[in-house]
Amino acid sequence: MKKNNFMNNFISYLFISPAFLLVVILLLIPMFQNVYYSFFNWDGISMPVFNGFKNYIAIFRDVDFRISFQNTLLWVAFTLIFPVMGGLLIAVFLRGLKFENFFKSIFYIPLTISFVATGIMWNYMYSREIGVINSILELFRIDKVSWLVNVPLNTFSLLISWTWQQIGVNMVLFLMGLSSIPAEQTEAAMIEGANRWQTFIHIIFPMLRPITTVVIVMALANSFKVFDLIYVMTRGGPYRSSETLAMTMFRETFTMSNMGYGAAISVVLSVIVIAISAGYIKSMLKKDLLYY
Amino acid sequence: MGAKIRRIFTYFILIVLVLAWLLPIFSVVLAALKSPAEFSSQKFYELPGKISIVSNLKMAFKQWKLYEYFTNSLIYSICGGLIAIIASSMAGFSIIRLKPKFNFLLFIIIYSGTLFPFQIYLIPLYKFFNMTGLYDTRIGMILVYSALCIPFSLFVYRGFYTTIPREIEEAAKIDGCGPLKLYAYIFLPQSSAPTAVVALFQMTWIWNDLLFGMILTRTDSRPIMVSLATMSGVSGGIIPYIMAGTIFTSFPTVLLFILLRRYFISGMVLSTAGE
Repeated sequence: MKKNNFMNNFISYLFISPAFLLVVILLLIPMFQNVYYSFFNWDGISMPVFNGFKNYIAIFRDVDFRISFQNTLLWVAFTLIFPVMGGLLIAVFLRGLKFENFFKSIFYIPLTISFVATGIMWNYMYSREIGVINSILELFRIDKVSWLVNVPLNTFSLLISWTWQQIGVNMVLFLMGLSSIPAEQTEAAMIEGANRWQTFIHIIFPMLRPITTVVIVMALANSFKVFDLIYVMTRGGPYRSSETLAMTMFRETFTMSNMGYGAAISVVLSVIVIAISAGYIKSMLKKDLLYY
Repeated sequence: MGAKIRRIFTYFILIVLVLAWLLPIFSVVLAALKSPAEFSSQKFYELPGKISIVSNLKMAFKQWKLYEYFTNSLIYSICGGLIAIIASSMAGFSIIRLKPKFNFLLFIIIYSGTLFPFQIYLIPLYKFFNMTGLYDTRIGMILVYSALCIPFSLFVYRGFYTTIPREIEEAAKIDGCGPLKLYAYIFLPQSSAPTAVVALFQMTWIWNDLLFGMILTRTDSRPIMVSLATMSGVSGGIIPYIMAGTIFTSFPTVLLFILLRRYFISGMVLSTAGE
């Protein structure tokens, strides 16, 4: 009997082991190593030299890092305004329209296109000499604009392409949330003389709260992680003016060979992302534990 | 009266937005259809006199070796996705139904792989790959991609297996089914819905990845997005070639999306809402 029990446990672990080993060896051990490296001065070739918290202190003194951090905050704020609020507005207006499905597909086609392809498409849109946007402006006799060179315009240009790509996710999630609100509730409010705006603020928006939390947490975490789009469109330039934390980490590590410093930046980035999603993850796991 | 004006206004705004959303796609397709000479002499919105996308594609293939990288990414998407599917469905089955000791802890450990930004893995992986000879190899890329896909896939399978009724399992057990048979004959055949979601989502993700391809490969085993990114060099690119290449590399994921739209949406909901 005891032997049988042991056998069962052994087989159970055997089933879990491929997934467990792949994740632990290729993701979790590297993560801890990365934290370890962040306390060293290391160029990737010679022996790492321990330097305590110097990398972290250097981060907060670095002027470039400050610009990168400011840009990251700009990304966060803009993401909340355009892809998130825009996604909500589109969802609210789309719902129940005749061509709802057609409109919906238009907004989520960009999601299937990679960030790299999105970046290349928008490079063409923004190109100074042959770009689509400047050609349109020319029709109205407006002078050419250097969308990706002027600071801070370049960050806003990047953010517009980001919105183009991202608005569909939020729209779909909000549509899902809206479809779970019973129609009687909004109808009752309308009968009692509330206008559409009042119904939205007092009935619909409060009931959307769970999905709004999810959307905001995901959008915040994603805007901290953004890399591909910036890499393809501006490489963080000119002169690091459009860098965000993920881009700065990449440049310090793989262009400048400051491995220890790059590791420290990635730790700071991870702490921020996890702090944002911590509450949400906790509530999800709590709900998850109810299965047991 | 007011309602009618409001409806017209809503449609107006939506149509303007739709046109704005279609503008990049429309311009890129037009540019890809024109020959370089025609492209430079025309406005972006003018229609091409002669369709030259095939010759543009040929040039893009030649200049950026797209065919080779296309094959690489196809291999990564299929193998990486497949390994993730097998490993995580097995793990999910065991965690939910065999319930060994510490099953929830094991789940949390594997699932925690989705929490961190990818930047935190890059330096140690780069070093590890150089040390073990996995750097710039296809097998190394397949392993990394499947490891990155497993946490989310496990989450999906685990959630799904909680919904399979226990009676089926009890009946199978009475008939003398061991865990392996139970998994292979009862659970796996019923998992087509989560498998479709996982396959679609993870294969698209692998196909679209830039970061790991850029850092862990140098030459022959580069995935397609890395070579696409090198096209975007600020100077010297010929736009119709670049746009033809961009459309070509985006084609598989857009096609998958059109074919499996239903699963795409439920996957998106799963990946964010976790339900």
